[in-house]
Amino acid sequence: MTNVLGRYTPYNTIIHRLDPRFKLFSLILLMVVVFLPYGNYTNRFIILGLTTIFIALIMIIGRVSFSSFFKSLKSMWMMFIFLLIFMFFLPTNGQYILHQFENGYTLYYDGLLQVGHIILRLILMIALTIILTSTTQSMDITYALEWYLAPLKLFKFPTQIVSLTISLALRFIPTLLNESQRIMNAQKSRGVEYNRGFLMAKIRSITTLIIPLLVSCFSRSDELAIAMEARGYNPYNKRSKYKTLKFSYRDLFSIILILLIAAFLITFSILSQNLAGFDDIINYIWKIPTI
Amino acid sequence: MNKEKIIEVKDLIFGYEKDNTILKCVSFDIFKGEYVTLIGHNGSGKSTLAKLLSYILEPSSGKVYIEGIELNDKSIKDIRSKIGIVFQNPDNQFIGSTVEDDIAFGLENRNIKQDIMKKTVLEFAKKVGMDKFLKKEPEELSGGQKQRVAIAGILALNLKIIIFDEATSMLDPEGVEEIRKLILDMKKENPELTVISITHDIEEAYLSDRVIILNDGKVYKNDIPENVFKDEEEMRKIDLDIPFVLKIKNELKKNDIEIPSSIRTIEELSEYICR
Repeated sequence: MTNVLGRYTPYNTIIHRLDPRFKLFSLILLMVVVFLPYGNYTNRFIILGLTTIFIALIMIIGRVSFSSFFKSLKSMWMMFIFLLIFMFFLPTNGQYILHQFENGYTLYYDGLLQVGHIILRLILMIALTIILTSTTQSMDITYALEWYLAPLKLFKFPTQIVSLTISLALRFIPTLLNESQRIMNAQKSRGVEYNRGFLMAKIRSITTLIIPLLVSCFSRSDELAIAMEARGYNPYNKRSKYKTLKFSYRDLFSIILILLIAAFLITFSILSQNLAGFDDIINYIWKIPTI
Repeated sequence: MNKEKIIEVKDLIFGYEKDNTILKCVSFDIFKGEYVTLIGHNGSGKSTLAKLLSYILEPSSGKVYIEGIELNDKSIKDIRSKIGIVFQNPDNQFIGSTVEDDIAFGLENRNIKQDIMKKTVLEFAKKVGMDKFLKKEPEELSGGQKQRVAIAGILALNLKIIIFDEATSMLDPEGVEEIRKLILDMKKENPELTVISITHDIEEAYLSDRVIILNDGKVYKNDIPENVFKDEEEMRKIDLDIPFVLKIKNELKKNDIEIPSSIRTIEELSEYICR
Protein backbone atom coordinates (compact mmCIF):
# COMPACT_ATOMS: atom_id res chain seq x y z
CA MET A 1 0.00 0.00 0.00
CA THR A 2 3.00 2.26 0.23
CA ASN A 3 3.24 2.87 -3.48
CA VAL A 4 -0.06 4.53 -4.14
CA LEU A 5 -0.55 5.96 -7.60
CA GLY A 6 1.42 9.15 -7.99
CA ARG A 7 2.23 9.57 -4.35
CA TYR A 8 4.59 12.39 -3.41
CA THR A 9 8.22 11.34 -3.38
CA PRO A 10 10.43 13.57 -1.26
CA TYR A 11 13.33 14.33 -3.59
CA ASN A 12 14.80 17.75 -4.17
CA THR A 13 14.88 18.00 -7.96
CA ILE A 14 14.26 21.08 -10.09
CA ILE A 15 10.77 19.82 -10.84
CA HIS A 16 10.06 19.48 -7.13
CA ARG A 17 11.19 23.02 -6.46
CA LEU A 18 9.06 24.64 -9.17
CA ASP A 19 6.18 26.79 -8.09
CA PRO A 20 3.05 24.62 -7.69
CA ARG A 21 0.91 27.27 -9.35
CA PHE A 22 3.06 27.02 -12.43
CA LYS A 23 3.02 23.23 -12.30
CA LEU A 24 -0.75 23.16 -12.13
CA PHE A 25 -1.00 25.59 -15.02
CA SER A 26 1.43 23.67 -17.22
CA LEU A 27 -0.33 20.42 -16.43
CA ILE A 28 -3.56 21.77 -17.83
CA LEU A 29 -1.82 23.44 -20.78
CA LEU A 30 0.08 20.30 -21.72
CA MET A 31 -3.08 18.21 -21.41
CA VAL A 32 -4.81 20.51 -23.86
CA VAL A 33 -1.85 20.29 -26.21
CA VAL A 34 -1.86 16.51 -26.05
CA PHE A 35 -5.53 16.45 -26.95
CA LEU A 36 -5.32 18.81 -29.92
CA PRO A 37 -5.76 17.36 -33.39
CA TYR A 38 -2.78 17.64 -35.73
CA GLY A 39 -4.21 16.69 -39.11
CA ASN A 40 -3.19 13.37 -40.56
CA TYR A 41 -1.84 10.42 -38.59
CA THR A 42 1.78 11.00 -39.54
CA ASN A 43 1.62 14.48 -38.05
CA ARG A 44 -0.19 13.25 -34.99
CA PHE A 45 2.28 10.53 -34.23
CA ILE A 46 5.28 12.77 -34.79
CA ILE A 47 3.87 15.38 -32.41
CA LEU A 48 2.78 12.81 -29.84
CA GLY A 49 6.16 11.10 -30.08
CA LEU A 50 7.94 14.38 -29.43
CA THR A 51 5.64 15.16 -26.48
CA THR A 52 6.25 11.67 -25.13
CA ILE A 53 9.99 12.25 -25.21
CA PHE A 54 9.52 15.65 -23.56
CA ILE A 55 7.31 14.22 -20.81
CA ALA A 56 9.60 11.25 -20.27
CA LEU A 57 12.46 13.74 -19.89
CA ILE A 58 10.53 15.61 -17.22
CA MET A 59 9.83 12.31 -15.48
CA ILE A 60 13.53 11.48 -15.47
CA ILE A 61 14.50 14.93 -14.17
CA GLY A 62 11.76 14.77 -11.52
CA ARG A 63 12.84 11.25 -10.57
CA VAL A 64 9.31 9.96 -11.02
CA SER A 65 9.32 6.21 -10.57
CA PHE A 66 8.67 4.55 -13.93
CA SER A 67 7.81 1.24 -12.32
CA SER A 68 4.96 2.73 -10.30
CA PHE A 69 3.85 4.55 -13.43
CA PHE A 70 3.60 1.33 -15.41
CA LYS A 71 1.90 -0.34 -12.48
CA SER A 72 -0.75 2.34 -12.51
CA LEU A 73 -1.30 1.69 -16.23
CA LYS A 74 -2.10 -1.93 -15.46
CA SER A 75 -5.51 -0.97 -14.18
CA MET A 76 -6.24 0.64 -17.55
CA TRP A 77 -5.80 -2.38 -19.80
CA MET A 78 -9.48 -3.30 -19.73
CA MET A 79 -10.29 0.13 -21.07
CA PHE A 80 -7.63 -0.14 -23.75
CA ILE A 81 -9.01 -3.45 -24.97
CA PHE A 82 -12.48 -2.02 -24.98
CA LEU A 83 -11.28 0.92 -27.07
CA LEU A 84 -9.44 -1.40 -29.42
CA ILE A 85 -12.52 -3.50 -30.11
CA PHE A 86 -14.68 -0.48 -30.74
CA MET A 87 -12.29 1.51 -32.84
CA PHE A 88 -10.84 -1.37 -34.79
CA PHE A 89 -13.94 -3.24 -35.81
CA LEU A 90 -16.53 -0.53 -36.07
CA PRO A 91 -15.23 2.03 -38.63
CA THR A 92 -16.76 1.47 -42.03
CA ASN A 93 -14.55 3.76 -44.03
CA GLY A 94 -10.87 4.57 -44.10
CA GLN A 95 -7.87 4.93 -46.33
CA TYR A 96 -5.77 1.91 -45.62
CA ILE A 97 -7.46 -1.42 -46.12
CA LEU A 98 -6.22 -4.21 -43.89
CA HIS A 99 -8.49 -7.05 -44.91
CA GLN A 100 -11.58 -7.46 -47.04
CA PHE A 101 -13.95 -10.16 -45.83
CA GLU A 102 -16.04 -12.15 -48.26
CA ASN A 103 -19.30 -10.80 -46.95
CA GLY A 104 -18.18 -7.30 -47.89
CA TYR A 105 -17.02 -6.18 -44.45
CA THR A 106 -13.73 -4.34 -44.54
CA LEU A 107 -11.17 -3.84 -41.81
CA TYR A 108 -9.09 -0.66 -41.97
CA TYR A 109 -5.73 0.27 -40.54
CA ASP A 110 -7.21 3.64 -39.61
CA GLY A 111 -9.02 2.14 -36.64
CA LEU A 112 -5.75 0.77 -35.31
CA LEU A 113 -4.07 4.14 -35.70
CA GLN A 114 -7.00 5.86 -34.08
CA VAL A 115 -6.89 3.55 -31.05
CA GLY A 116 -3.12 3.82 -30.87
CA HIS A 117 -3.13 7.55 -30.68
CA ILE A 118 -6.03 7.74 -28.24
CA ILE A 119 -4.28 5.30 -25.92
CA LEU A 120 -1.06 7.28 -26.23
CA ARG A 121 -2.94 10.46 -25.35
CA LEU A 122 -4.44 8.81 -22.26
CA ILE A 123 -1.09 7.46 -21.15
CA LEU A 124 0.48 10.90 -21.56
CA MET A 125 -2.32 12.45 -19.57
CA ILE A 126 -1.79 9.98 -16.74
CA ALA A 127 1.95 10.63 -16.88
CA LEU A 128 1.39 14.37 -16.59
CA THR A 129 -0.85 13.95 -13.57
CA ILE A 130 1.63 11.61 -11.93
CA ILE A 131 4.43 14.10 -12.50
CA LEU A 132 2.39 16.75 -10.72
CA THR A 133 1.34 14.64 -7.75
CA SER A 134 4.64 12.90 -7.19
CA THR A 135 6.70 16.08 -7.28
CA THR A 136 4.31 18.37 -5.41
CA GLN A 137 3.12 18.01 -1.85
CA SER A 138 -0.64 17.97 -1.49
CA MET A 139 -0.49 21.08 0.65
CA ASP A 140 1.27 22.95 -2.16
CA ILE A 141 -1.35 21.85 -4.67
CA THR A 142 -3.99 23.26 -2.37
CA TYR A 143 -2.08 26.50 -2.00
CA ALA A 144 -1.97 26.73 -5.76
CA LEU A 145 -5.68 25.98 -6.05
CA GLU A 146 -6.43 28.60 -3.42
CA TRP A 147 -4.39 31.09 -5.41
CA TYR A 148 -6.33 30.38 -8.59
CA LEU A 149 -9.62 30.56 -6.68
CA ALA A 150 -8.69 33.91 -5.13
CA PRO A 151 -10.66 36.03 -7.64
CA LEU A 152 -13.82 34.24 -6.45
CA LYS A 153 -13.37 35.95 -3.08
CA LEU A 154 -14.97 38.97 -4.71
CA PHE A 155 -18.19 37.00 -4.90
CA LYS A 156 -17.93 36.00 -1.21
CA PHE A 157 -16.81 32.52 -2.17
CA PRO A 158 -15.13 30.90 0.88
CA THR A 159 -11.84 30.04 -0.84
CA GLN A 160 -10.05 29.42 2.46
CA ILE A 161 -12.58 26.85 3.63
CA VAL A 162 -12.63 25.10 0.28
CA SER A 163 -8.87 24.85 0.09
CA LEU A 164 -8.59 23.59 3.66
CA THR A 165 -11.25 20.98 2.95
CA ILE A 166 -9.38 19.83 -0.15
CA SER A 167 -6.10 19.63 1.72
CA LEU A 168 -7.72 17.62 4.52
CA ALA A 169 -9.24 15.26 1.98
CA LEU A 170 -5.84 14.78 0.33
CA ARG A 171 -4.17 14.38 3.72
CA PHE A 172 -6.54 11.54 4.65
CA ILE A 173 -6.28 9.52 1.43
CA PRO A 174 -3.30 7.41 2.56
CA THR A 175 -4.74 7.05 6.07
CA LEU A 176 -8.01 5.74 4.67
CA LEU A 177 -6.23 3.45 2.23
CA ASN A 178 -4.35 1.89 5.13
CA GLU A 179 -7.61 1.61 7.01
CA SER A 180 -9.40 -0.10 4.14
CA GLN A 181 -6.55 -2.56 3.88
CA ARG A 182 -6.89 -3.30 7.59
CA ILE A 183 -10.63 -3.77 7.33
CA MET A 184 -10.19 -6.06 4.32
CA ASN A 185 -7.72 -8.19 6.23
CA ALA A 186 -10.06 -8.32 9.20
CA GLN A 187 -12.98 -9.34 7.00
CA LYS A 188 -10.86 -11.90 5.15
CA SER A 189 -9.99 -13.51 8.46
CA ARG A 190 -13.73 -13.78 9.07
CA GLY A 191 -14.24 -15.56 5.78
CA VAL A 192 -15.15 -12.81 3.33
CA GLU A 193 -13.64 -13.48 -0.08
CA TYR A 194 -13.04 -10.37 -2.11
CA ASN A 195 -11.68 -11.98 -5.25
CA ARG A 196 -14.17 -14.79 -5.72
CA GLY A 197 -17.56 -15.08 -7.30
CA PHE A 198 -19.42 -13.16 -9.94
CA LEU A 199 -20.66 -9.62 -9.93
CA MET A 200 -23.34 -9.93 -7.24
CA ALA A 201 -21.09 -11.86 -4.86
CA LYS A 202 -18.40 -9.25 -5.38
CA ILE A 203 -20.77 -6.39 -4.68
CA ARG A 204 -21.96 -8.16 -1.55
CA SER A 205 -18.41 -8.66 -0.31
CA ILE A 206 -17.56 -5.03 -1.04
CA THR A 207 -20.33 -3.87 1.30
CA THR A 208 -18.46 -5.58 4.13
CA LEU A 209 -15.64 -3.16 3.37
CA ILE A 210 -17.61 -0.02 2.59
CA ILE A 211 -19.82 0.04 5.68
CA PRO A 212 -17.08 -0.18 8.32
CA LEU A 213 -15.02 2.27 6.28
CA LEU A 214 -17.86 4.78 6.19
CA VAL A 215 -18.50 4.42 9.90
CA SER A 216 -14.85 4.98 10.70
CA CYS A 217 -14.76 7.94 8.30
CA PHE A 218 -17.54 9.62 10.21
CA SER A 219 -15.95 9.07 13.60
CA ARG A 220 -12.63 10.28 12.22
CA SER A 221 -14.12 13.44 10.82
CA ASP A 222 -15.87 14.04 14.11
CA GLU A 223 -12.64 13.73 16.04
CA LEU A 224 -10.81 15.82 13.49
CA ALA A 225 -13.34 18.61 13.81
CA ILE A 226 -12.97 18.57 17.59
CA ALA A 227 -9.19 18.57 17.32
CA MET A 228 -9.31 21.50 14.89
CA GLU A 229 -11.62 23.44 17.13
CA ALA A 230 -9.44 22.67 20.14
CA ARG A 231 -6.52 24.22 18.27
CA GLY A 232 -8.52 27.39 17.79
CA TYR A 233 -9.78 26.96 14.25
CA ASN A 234 -12.59 29.24 13.27
CA PRO A 235 -13.42 29.25 9.56
CA TYR A 236 -14.50 32.88 9.57
CA ASN A 237 -11.47 34.29 11.35
CA LYS A 238 -8.54 35.71 9.47
CA ARG A 239 -5.77 33.16 9.36
CA SER A 240 -2.15 33.77 8.58
CA LYS A 241 -0.22 31.45 6.31
CA TYR A 242 2.74 29.33 7.21
CA LYS A 243 3.91 29.14 3.62
CA THR A 244 3.65 31.59 0.82
CA LEU A 245 4.44 30.66 -2.72
CA LYS A 246 7.41 32.33 -4.30
CA PHE A 247 7.85 32.77 -7.99
CA SER A 248 11.51 32.53 -8.97
CA TYR A 249 13.58 32.92 -12.12
CA ARG A 250 13.50 29.17 -12.46
CA ASP A 251 9.73 29.36 -12.78
CA LEU A 252 9.93 32.24 -15.23
CA PHE A 253 12.28 30.28 -17.45
CA SER A 254 10.12 27.17 -17.29
CA ILE A 255 6.94 29.05 -17.98
CA ILE A 256 8.47 30.64 -21.08
CA LEU A 257 9.59 27.21 -22.26
CA ILE A 258 6.17 25.65 -21.71
CA LEU A 259 4.36 28.57 -23.30
CA LEU A 260 6.63 28.41 -26.36
CA ILE A 261 6.03 24.70 -26.78
CA ALA A 262 2.30 25.12 -26.32
CA ALA A 263 2.13 28.11 -28.68
CA PHE A 264 4.05 26.23 -31.33
CA LEU A 265 1.87 23.15 -31.06
CA ILE A 266 -1.38 25.10 -31.01
CA THR A 267 -0.35 27.05 -34.12
CA PHE A 268 0.69 23.84 -35.79
CA SER A 269 -2.64 22.29 -34.91
CA ILE A 270 -4.58 25.23 -36.28
CA LEU A 271 -2.56 25.26 -39.46
CA SER A 272 -3.00 21.55 -39.91
CA GLN A 273 -6.74 22.06 -39.97
CA ASN A 274 -6.35 24.41 -42.96
CA LEU A 275 -8.36 27.12 -41.35
CA ALA A 276 -9.14 30.28 -43.21
CA GLY A 277 -11.55 32.59 -41.46
CA PHE A 278 -12.68 33.28 -37.91
CA ASP A 279 -15.70 30.99 -38.29
CA ASP A 280 -13.39 28.12 -39.05
CA ILE A 281 -11.48 28.69 -35.83
CA ILE A 282 -14.70 28.63 -33.81
CA ASN A 283 -15.74 25.45 -35.58
CA TYR A 284 -12.33 24.01 -34.91
CA ILE A 285 -12.58 24.72 -31.17
CA TRP A 286 -15.97 23.02 -31.04
CA LYS A 287 -14.53 20.03 -32.80
CA ILE A 288 -11.62 19.45 -30.39
CA PRO A 289 -13.38 17.09 -28.00
CA THR A 290 -14.63 14.86 -30.78
CA ILE A 291 -11.50 14.50 -32.86
CA MET B 1 -1.62 24.77 49.87
CA ASN B 2 -1.46 28.43 49.02
CA LYS B 3 -1.20 27.81 45.32
CA GLU B 4 -3.40 29.38 42.71
CA LYS B 5 -6.37 27.26 41.64
CA ILE B 6 -6.45 26.89 37.87
CA ILE B 7 -9.18 24.31 37.41
CA GLU B 8 -12.05 23.79 39.76
CA VAL B 9 -14.50 20.95 39.23
CA LYS B 10 -17.59 21.25 41.36
CA ASP B 11 -20.23 18.56 41.91
CA LEU B 12 -20.07 17.37 38.35
CA ILE B 13 -22.83 14.96 37.36
CA PHE B 14 -23.17 13.48 33.93
CA GLY B 15 -25.11 10.71 32.28
CA TYR B 16 -25.72 9.88 28.64
CA GLU B 17 -29.17 8.72 29.74
CA LYS B 18 -31.16 10.29 32.52
CA ASP B 19 -31.34 7.44 35.00
CA ASN B 20 -27.87 6.12 34.24
CA THR B 21 -25.29 8.58 35.47
CA ILE B 22 -21.68 7.90 34.66
CA LEU B 23 -20.21 10.63 36.84
CA LYS B 24 -21.81 10.95 40.26
CA CYS B 25 -20.85 14.18 41.89
CA VAL B 26 -17.18 14.63 41.07
CA SER B 27 -15.31 17.52 42.69
CA PHE B 28 -11.62 18.35 42.73
CA ASP B 29 -9.24 21.26 42.28
CA ILE B 30 -6.14 21.50 40.18
CA PHE B 31 -3.48 24.05 40.98
CA LYS B 32 -1.22 26.05 38.74
CA GLY B 33 1.88 24.19 37.67
CA GLU B 34 0.68 20.81 38.82
CA TYR B 35 1.00 17.55 36.94
CA VAL B 36 -2.10 15.59 37.79
CA THR B 37 -3.03 12.19 36.46
CA LEU B 38 -6.58 10.95 36.41
CA ILE B 39 -6.79 7.20 36.43
CA GLY B 40 -9.46 4.59 36.71
CA HIS B 41 -10.32 1.26 35.13
CA ASN B 42 -12.56 0.97 32.07
CA GLY B 43 -16.00 2.39 32.68
CA SER B 44 -14.94 4.47 35.64
CA GLY B 45 -15.92 7.61 33.78
CA LYS B 46 -12.48 8.99 33.14
CA SER B 47 -12.88 9.53 29.41
CA THR B 48 -16.26 11.15 30.03
CA LEU B 49 -14.57 13.46 32.49
CA ALA B 50 -11.96 14.32 29.87
CA LYS B 51 -14.69 15.27 27.42
CA LEU B 52 -16.40 17.38 30.06
CA LEU B 53 -13.17 19.22 30.91
CA SER B 54 -12.63 20.10 27.26
CA TYR B 55 -16.34 20.89 26.85
CA ILE B 56 -16.95 18.34 24.16
CA LEU B 57 -19.79 17.18 26.40
CA GLU B 58 -21.97 19.37 28.54
CA PRO B 59 -22.44 18.36 32.20
CA SER B 60 -25.93 17.39 33.37
CA SER B 61 -25.30 19.44 36.47
CA GLY B 62 -22.32 20.89 38.29
CA LYS B 63 -19.71 23.30 37.04
CA VAL B 64 -16.19 23.47 35.75
CA TYR B 65 -14.20 26.67 36.31
CA ILE B 66 -11.02 27.41 34.46
CA GLU B 67 -9.06 30.28 35.95
CA GLY B 68 -12.26 31.32 37.66
CA ILE B 69 -14.28 31.41 34.44
CA GLU B 70 -17.19 29.01 34.18
CA LEU B 71 -17.10 26.64 31.27
CA ASN B 72 -20.16 27.24 29.09
CA ASP B 73 -21.19 27.96 25.52
CA LYS B 74 -20.15 31.60 25.73
CA SER B 75 -16.81 31.19 27.40
CA ILE B 76 -15.71 28.14 25.42
CA LYS B 77 -13.89 30.12 22.73
CA ASP B 78 -11.90 32.01 25.32
CA ILE B 79 -11.15 28.89 27.25
CA ARG B 80 -10.09 26.91 24.20
CA SER B 81 -7.33 29.47 23.84
CA LYS B 82 -6.10 28.56 27.32
CA ILE B 83 -6.34 24.79 27.13
CA GLY B 84 -4.61 22.50 24.71
CA ILE B 85 -5.79 18.95 24.30
CA VAL B 86 -3.81 16.00 23.03
CA PHE B 87 -6.30 13.38 21.92
CA GLN B 88 -6.16 9.64 21.85
CA ASN B 89 -5.95 8.89 18.15
CA PRO B 90 -2.68 10.16 16.64
CA ASP B 91 -4.08 10.11 13.10
CA ASN B 92 -7.26 12.03 13.70
CA GLN B 93 -5.58 15.06 15.18
CA PHE B 94 -2.91 15.41 12.52
CA ILE B 95 -4.36 18.28 10.52
CA GLY B 96 -1.51 19.53 8.38
CA SER B 97 -0.15 17.43 5.55
CA THR B 98 3.40 17.59 6.92
CA VAL B 99 4.91 17.88 10.38
CA GLU B 100 5.65 21.58 10.00
CA ASP B 101 2.22 22.38 8.62
CA ASP B 102 0.62 20.58 11.53
CA ILE B 103 2.64 22.42 14.15
CA ALA B 104 1.83 25.67 12.35
CA PHE B 105 -1.93 25.03 12.19
CA GLY B 106 -2.71 26.48 15.61
CA LEU B 107 -0.41 29.43 14.95
CA GLU B 108 -2.13 30.13 11.64
CA ASN B 109 -5.45 30.21 13.48
CA ARG B 110 -4.03 32.89 15.73
CA ASN B 111 -3.02 34.94 12.71
CA ILE B 112 0.65 35.03 13.67
CA LYS B 113 3.13 36.55 11.23
CA GLN B 114 4.94 34.18 8.94
CA ASP B 115 8.53 34.91 9.98
CA ILE B 116 7.69 34.50 13.67
CA MET B 117 5.73 31.36 12.85
CA LYS B 118 8.72 29.80 11.05
CA LYS B 119 10.95 30.34 14.07
CA THR B 120 8.33 29.06 16.51
CA VAL B 121 7.66 25.92 14.49
CA LEU B 122 11.34 25.07 14.35
CA GLU B 123 11.83 25.82 18.05
CA PHE B 124 9.02 23.57 19.20
CA ALA B 125 9.81 20.83 16.72
CA LYS B 126 13.26 20.79 18.30
CA LYS B 127 11.75 20.61 21.78
CA VAL B 128 9.88 17.42 20.96
CA GLY B 129 12.78 16.07 18.93
CA MET B 130 11.01 16.22 15.59
CA ASP B 131 13.15 18.88 13.90
CA LYS B 132 14.63 16.34 11.50
CA PHE B 133 11.16 15.32 10.32
CA LEU B 134 9.70 18.72 9.42
CA LYS B 135 8.89 17.78 5.83
CA LYS B 136 7.58 14.30 6.62
CA GLU B 137 4.00 13.27 6.05
CA PRO B 138 1.96 11.55 8.78
CA GLU B 139 2.10 8.19 6.99
CA GLU B 140 5.86 8.11 7.40
CA LEU B 141 5.73 8.64 11.17
CA SER B 142 5.13 6.29 14.08
CA GLY B 143 2.26 6.81 16.49
CA GLY B 144 4.59 8.21 19.14
CA GLN B 145 6.09 10.67 16.67
CA LYS B 146 2.64 11.84 15.61
CA GLN B 147 1.70 12.44 19.23
CA ARG B 148 4.94 14.37 19.70
CA VAL B 149 3.98 16.56 16.76
CA ALA B 150 0.56 17.14 18.32
CA ILE B 151 2.25 18.12 21.58
CA ALA B 152 4.59 20.51 19.74
CA GLY B 153 1.59 22.09 18.03
CA ILE B 154 0.02 22.73 21.42
CA LEU B 155 3.22 23.86 23.16
CA ALA B 156 3.80 26.36 20.37
CA LEU B 157 0.57 28.10 21.33
CA ASN B 158 2.05 28.90 24.74
CA LEU B 159 -0.96 27.67 26.71
CA LYS B 160 -1.30 27.37 30.46
CA ILE B 161 -3.04 24.03 30.62
CA ILE B 162 -2.51 20.88 28.59
CA ILE B 163 -4.88 17.96 28.85
CA PHE B 164 -3.72 14.57 27.66
CA ASP B 165 -6.85 12.62 26.84
CA GLU B 166 -5.52 9.06 26.90
CA ALA B 167 -2.78 10.27 24.61
CA THR B 168 -0.71 7.11 25.02
CA SER B 169 -3.40 4.45 24.86
CA MET B 170 -3.00 3.79 21.13
CA LEU B 171 0.79 3.73 21.16
CA ASP B 172 3.29 0.90 21.37
CA PRO B 173 5.42 0.63 24.55
CA GLU B 174 8.20 2.66 22.95
CA GLY B 175 5.81 5.44 22.06
CA VAL B 176 4.35 5.42 25.56
CA GLU B 177 7.84 5.79 27.01
CA GLU B 178 8.60 8.68 24.61
CA ILE B 179 5.51 10.60 25.63
CA ARG B 180 6.03 9.97 29.36
CA LYS B 181 9.53 11.35 29.09
CA LEU B 182 8.39 14.30 27.02
CA ILE B 183 5.77 15.31 29.59
CA LEU B 184 8.39 15.28 32.34
CA ASP B 185 10.85 17.31 30.23
CA MET B 186 8.09 19.75 29.41
CA LYS B 187 7.34 20.21 33.08
CA LYS B 188 11.00 20.65 33.93
CA GLU B 189 11.37 23.37 31.33
CA ASN B 190 8.22 25.24 32.24
CA PRO B 191 7.14 24.65 35.86
CA GLU B 192 4.22 27.04 35.37
CA LEU B 193 2.56 24.66 32.94
CA THR B 194 -0.37 22.70 34.29
CA VAL B 195 -0.66 19.18 32.92
CA ILE B 196 -3.66 16.94 33.35
CA SER B 197 -3.24 13.47 32.03
CA ILE B 198 -6.18 11.16 31.76
CA THR B 199 -4.67 7.73 31.44
CA HIS B 200 -4.82 4.10 32.35
CA ASP B 201 -1.06 3.97 32.57
CA ILE B 202 -0.24 3.60 36.26
CA GLU B 203 3.48 3.94 35.55
CA GLU B 204 2.80 7.43 34.23
CA ALA B 205 0.58 8.19 37.22
CA TYR B 206 3.44 7.28 39.52
CA LEU B 207 5.59 9.97 37.89
CA SER B 208 3.03 12.73 38.40
CA ASP B 209 2.62 15.18 41.28
CA ARG B 210 -0.85 14.05 42.21
CA VAL B 211 -3.12 11.16 41.30
CA ILE B 212 -6.88 11.28 41.19
CA ILE B 213 -8.50 7.88 41.02
CA LEU B 214 -12.00 7.64 39.66
CA ASN B 215 -14.04 4.62 40.57
CA ASP B 216 -17.67 4.09 39.72
CA GLY B 217 -18.15 7.75 38.80
CA LYS B 218 -16.73 9.14 42.02
CA VAL B 219 -13.38 10.46 43.13
CA TYR B 220 -12.00 7.49 45.01
CA LYS B 221 -8.62 8.92 45.93
CA ASN B 222 -6.94 12.25 45.44
CA ASP B 223 -3.41 12.34 46.79
CA ILE B 224 0.28 12.15 45.96
CA PRO B 225 1.26 8.88 44.24
CA GLU B 226 3.04 7.39 47.28
CA ASN B 227 -0.10 7.56 49.35
CA VAL B 228 -2.43 6.52 46.57
CA PHE B 229 -0.56 3.35 45.72
CA LYS B 230 0.36 2.48 49.29
CA ASP B 231 -2.14 -0.28 49.72
CA GLU B 232 -1.80 -2.93 47.03
CA GLU B 233 -4.84 -4.89 48.21
CA GLU B 234 -7.06 -1.86 48.09
CA MET B 235 -5.95 -1.04 44.55
CA ARG B 236 -6.70 -4.59 43.46
CA LYS B 237 -10.22 -4.17 44.74
CA ILE B 238 -10.91 -1.40 42.23
CA ASP B 239 -9.21 -3.31 39.40
CA LEU B 240 -6.02 -1.28 39.42
CA ASP B 241 -2.49 -2.49 39.77
CA ILE B 242 0.35 -0.64 41.46
CA PRO B 243 3.38 0.67 39.58
CA PHE B 244 6.18 -1.77 38.87
CA VAL B 245 8.83 0.30 40.65
CA LEU B 246 6.68 0.47 43.74
CA LYS B 247 6.20 -3.29 43.67
CA ILE B 248 9.97 -3.81 43.72
CA LYS B 249 10.31 -1.24 46.46
CA ASN B 250 7.73 -3.06 48.57
CA GLU B 251 9.46 -6.40 48.05
CA LEU B 252 12.81 -4.88 49.00
CA LYS B 253 11.25 -3.35 52.05
CA LYS B 254 10.29 -6.79 53.28
CA ASN B 255 14.01 -7.52 53.29
CA ASP B 256 14.74 -4.29 55.12
CA ILE B 257 16.09 -2.41 52.14
CA GLU B 258 14.68 1.09 52.06
CA ILE B 259 14.56 2.95 48.75
CA PRO B 260 13.99 6.73 48.90
CA SER B 261 10.65 7.93 47.59
CA SER B 262 12.28 10.25 45.06
CA ILE B 263 13.14 7.24 42.94
CA ARG B 264 10.30 6.64 40.52
CA THR B 265 11.55 5.17 37.28
CA ILE B 266 13.08 1.81 36.52
CA GLU B 267 16.30 3.46 35.34
CA GLU B 268 16.68 5.43 38.54
CA LEU B 269 15.92 2.34 40.58
CA SER B 270 18.44 0.12 38.83
CA GLU B 271 21.06 2.84 39.12
CA TYR B 272 20.36 3.16 42.82
CA ILE B 273 20.52 -0.56 43.43
CA CYS B 274 23.75 -0.98 41.46
CA ARG B 275 25.44 1.74 43.43
